[in-house]
Amino acid sequence: MRDDSGKWDAPLPSGYAHDANGMTLAAVTLARQVLISGPDVLTQTKQPIAGWPDIVTADSYALSVRRDRVLLVNGPTVSEGWHDDIGQAVSDASDAYAVFDVSGERSLEVLKRGAELNLDVPSRSVARLLFGLGVFLYRYETENSFRIHVASAHAEALVKSLEGAIAAC
Amino acid sequence: MTSHRTTRVALIDRSKPLRFSFDGKEYQGYEGDTLASALLANGVRVMGRSFKYHRPRGPWGAWVDDPNAIITVTLNGLSFPNCPATTTPLVEGMRARAVNAWPSATFDIKSGLDVFHRWLSAGFYYKTFMWPNWHLFEPMIRKMAGLGDISRDVPEGYSADQVFDHCEVLVIGGGAAGLAAARAAAEASRGVVLVEDHPVLGGGLHQMAEIEGLAPTDWIAEQVSAITSAGGRILTATTAFGVYDHGLVGLAENGPFGTAPRLHRMRADRIVLATGALDRPITFADNDRPGVIAVDGACEYLARYGVLVGSKIALVSNNSLADAAEVLLAEAGAKVLRLNPHDGPMQALGGKRIKGIAQGAKRHDVDTIIASGGMTPLVHLWRHAGGKLNWCETRQAFLPGAAPDGMVAVGAVNGAFDLDVSLSEARAAGNGKSPDLSPTSYALTPLWPDPGSKGRQWIDFQHDVTLKDVELAARENYVSVEHLKRYTTLGMASDQGKTSNMAGLAAMAAVQGRPLPEVGTTTFRPPFVPVPLEMYHGHHGKQLWHPLKRLALEPQHRAAGAALGEYGGWLRPGWYGKGEAKQLIHQEVLTARGSAGIFDASPLGTIEVMGPDAETFVNFIYYNTIRTLKPGHIRYGFMLTEGGIVLDDGVITRLDQNRFVISCSSSHVDSVRTHLEAWRQDGNNPDRIFVHDQTQHWATVTIAGPKAREILAALALDVDLSAKAFPHMTLQETHFEETPMRIARVSFTGDLSFELSVRCAKAPALWEAIVKAGQALGAAPIGIEALSILRAEKGYIMVGKDTDGETMPHDLGFGVPRLKKSAAFIGDRSLHCDKANATNRKTLVGLSVPMGAPPLATGAHLVDGTPPRSQGYVTSSYESPTLGRPVALGLVENGAARIGETVSVWHLGDIREATICAPCAFDPEGERLHA
Repeated sequence: MRDDSGKWDAPLPSGYAHDANGMTLAAVTLARQVLISGPDVLTQTKQPIAGWPDIVTADSYALSVRRDRVLLVNGPTVSEGWHDDIGQAVSDASDAYAVFDVSGERSLEVLKRGAELNLDVPSRSVARLLFGLGVFLYRYETENSFRIHVASAHAEALVKSLEGAIAAC
Repeated sequence: MTSHRTTRVALIDRSKPLRFSFDGKEYQGYEGDTLASALLANGVRVMGRSFKYHRPRGPWGAWVDDPNAIITVTLNGLSFPNCPATTTPLVEGMRARAVNAWPSATFDIKSGLDVFHRWLSAGFYYKTFMWPNWHLFEPMIRKMAGLGDISRDVPEGYSADQVFDHCEVLVIGGGAAGLAAARAAAEASRGVVLVEDHPVLGGGLHQMAEIEGLAPTDWIAEQVSAITSAGGRILTATTAFGVYDHGLVGLAENGPFGTAPRLHRMRADRIVLATGALDRPITFADNDRPGVIAVDGACEYLARYGVLVGSKIALVSNNSLADAAEVLLAEAGAKVLRLNPHDGPMQALGGKRIKGIAQGAKRHDVDTIIASGGMTPLVHLWRHAGGKLNWCETRQAFLPGAAPDGMVAVGAVNGAFDLDVSLSEARAAGNGKSPDLSPTSYALTPLWPDPGSKGRQWIDFQHDVTLKDVELAARENYVSVEHLKRYTTLGMASDQGKTSNMAGLAAMAAVQGRPLPEVGTTTFRPPFVPVPLEMYHGHHGKQLWHPLKRLALEPQHRAAGAALGEYGGWLRPGWYGKGEAKQLIHQEVLTARGSAGIFDASPLGTIEVMGPDAETFVNFIYYNTIRTLKPGHIRYGFMLTEGGIVLDDGVITRLDQNRFVISCSSSHVDSVRTHLEAWRQDGNNPDRIFVHDQTQHWATVTIAGPKAREILAALALDVDLSAKAFPHMTLQETHFEETPMRIARVSFTGDLSFELSVRCAKAPALWEAIVKAGQALGAAPIGIEALSILRAEKGYIMVGKDTDGETMPHDLGFGVPRLKKSAAFIGDRSLHCDKANATNRKTLVGLSVPMGAPPLATGAHLVDGTPPRSQGYVTSSYESPTLGRPVALGLVENGAARIGETVSVWHLGDIREATICAPCAFDPEGERLHA
């Protein structure tokens, strides 16, 4: 029973951004994130589906998490629950994941301080551990820009790890 | 004259002199020197004292093979203990001190211990320090043990960078073979990384006059240029310290002295091992004296640092590589006396310096002895990777045998001591071929320790293990090499037996009359050289050591003056306000009982289970029957392990026919999710059951207390809050500021309570609205500490605190499903075993104390008998402001049948009395709960 308030940094401000060493780390606000699970979800999803190391360029897209799960980003509103007609379980996860973009020429070097990443080894899933935290990681818009979804409660930890990695590069 | 600097061209920069001190005396070296080379250049021979006998010691080797010259280095006010002088680069202003010596390595007050060596042989401490009590001797032995002292100063900024990397071909070792292999691989368009632990590439090439028609530095430069032009990368001052699964190699890249190495986790498709070989010491009398140096070490000191290790040098060697060494040293101006070690037993003469060497009846006047008993290939990384070793009778060494996947050995490590052979097989390996063992011009006559021979002969310099110690170990039946190692501590020091293992094994083989290969080797483990713990630590420090989950409402809690602490992996408010914590917490309890407590319950699990088989699934997961749960209703239940032990408790809500929400303990969310996913795929159709962990999407604010309904009503939500329309353990869905909201009427305090859940983005608005509405009615935020007291007053358990690793649900008073539930569930069978049916099982009880007595200590044992036997313990204990007296919960044998019984409670030697009572001490009829 003790007061450890002073041992923990204040929570991230809204609109967080950090520039250093030619790299930018910035919070991203998405319209919607929806978790959809189902045995045929990969074939049922109309949006482009991204794995690793795909580069997403669309406004609305899906992330392939596992063979029966996608995270739909900026997709249409879908009612939550079990959809028996199409065999899908749907949950609004818009606030479940904090989202950040890391961009800059050495952004891959930054991320390689937190995970074993290889652009030559593709994966059908964007899910991995980064600095010990479960994330969805993929490229967004350009080769050197990476987008990261992390459980909201771990946003501070991810940002602190990334700031340290940027400083080390 | 003893060791000194020559004018020979070397790898040092003589235009950059560097000043330093050793044991309080000032010296000068040059940039490019190591501490050891600079000290030798200044004629310093004694650089340390041995671990046990405090005998004077000088460097044996010139690099990682040296076991003797261990130094504490202070630079810019920071001390770094146990720096090997042979691998520590010289830096201006270094203050160096020998470890394990006082006041200096030259004059050490504990040198007298050597007189008692007969009583201090291997394992002496197993036979002494026993009477009257081992603990009497412990402080003294702890003080004497180890090498070097750790400074209490924490160097700021001493933090290791860590990177993941990969390559097609990793070449380990930047000598001739490594450079050739790297070039061949790079020119074959493979992504190559070459690592070399010296700051300067080349290995033993610097001892040579020329290689393939070029001066060594030119040849090396040509290889480097070819490698980098073809896209290869070269890391110098980088040690490959370990090989791990699936081609993962740990690399420690050293920076300037005083900085933590950078850790590279390098994944390589293929590894070419070109790590070379070391000279073996020869075991003879007083072979540990300062001035006894490895042949190759002596050549390295000359070639790299321009230091001649002596003027009159006895070269004792059993192998043909000594010929080139003799020429090199003689050309530098030394008078070299070649001795055949087979001509008779030898003894080094002198104490702190060599005064001569005796062989048989002859005495030779020398100031230095350089020795080689053969070459030992550095096969450590090969063995880390699971590669086998073969004994080579010709080379009298263990060589790489059956290869681990993706690894090949070339050069001296592969027994190729001829340069042309080494280059040839290295180039073949660089092109993807695996070389066979080639014939060699290297010749030696076996030379191993001779058990029973006279004189004190050292096997392991760093741990002061002698030949007699090995013989002693054999007499005491420690005949396995692993036992020999642990009994004598041979090979257990920071050098990890690089120069002692072979001699130790050979000595044991000779004692047992077995061939050396039959005795085998001990296990090779990473790291190959000592590395600072910080290298593994990296960024995992302070807040990133164990990052806590953070609440969406943390800004609001901070603004309200919350004392934040870790609770179940989250940073949560323990209480609010500044002042005496206990008083503030008690006030929060009284507020919650008198009006309402407003509580951030967001970390509670919100795991959705959906699908056509969701009902069957959750009915199987839970101890309780769930399939009868109606939509909009909530049930309290337990999840068990297959052993019938309580895994978690919580509530499950049914939203509709195919959709449930599991609200598990906040600290168990990840494990419960894993539990659900595992069982979903085991015995079930995973295409009909889906688990969505929504915990992070939802924020939950709880209003608990008699005024909870009024406060909620002030939010003007579209919900009938009457007791009839909204009974306990039901859920309603509505909207808050156009956002979906779930309101669950559940209680963890035993009072009327509503849990309001919205998406996190809306949580601040909800919190503010509730706090504002509550203020008018005397409600206030409460933290975890107050909540713990409130629930304990009701006898509500916390799994893991009021349950232990053996608690089953019927121990907690929930026995009906065990007897009545017909559908299968996890843990079912275990609930009917003998242990589950035992009558003396520990069951949950309440504990009361006499009027005016203080609370019991949590963890105190309930005892009976003489001597006292524990029959249970106190699991939760608090002063209850609501009741004005202490309350406690505990687990005690057959507790439910012992209500009213007075028991003894033991804690740290004190014994008190308590009375077993029902766990619920507040509102046992539940009137406030069902208000």
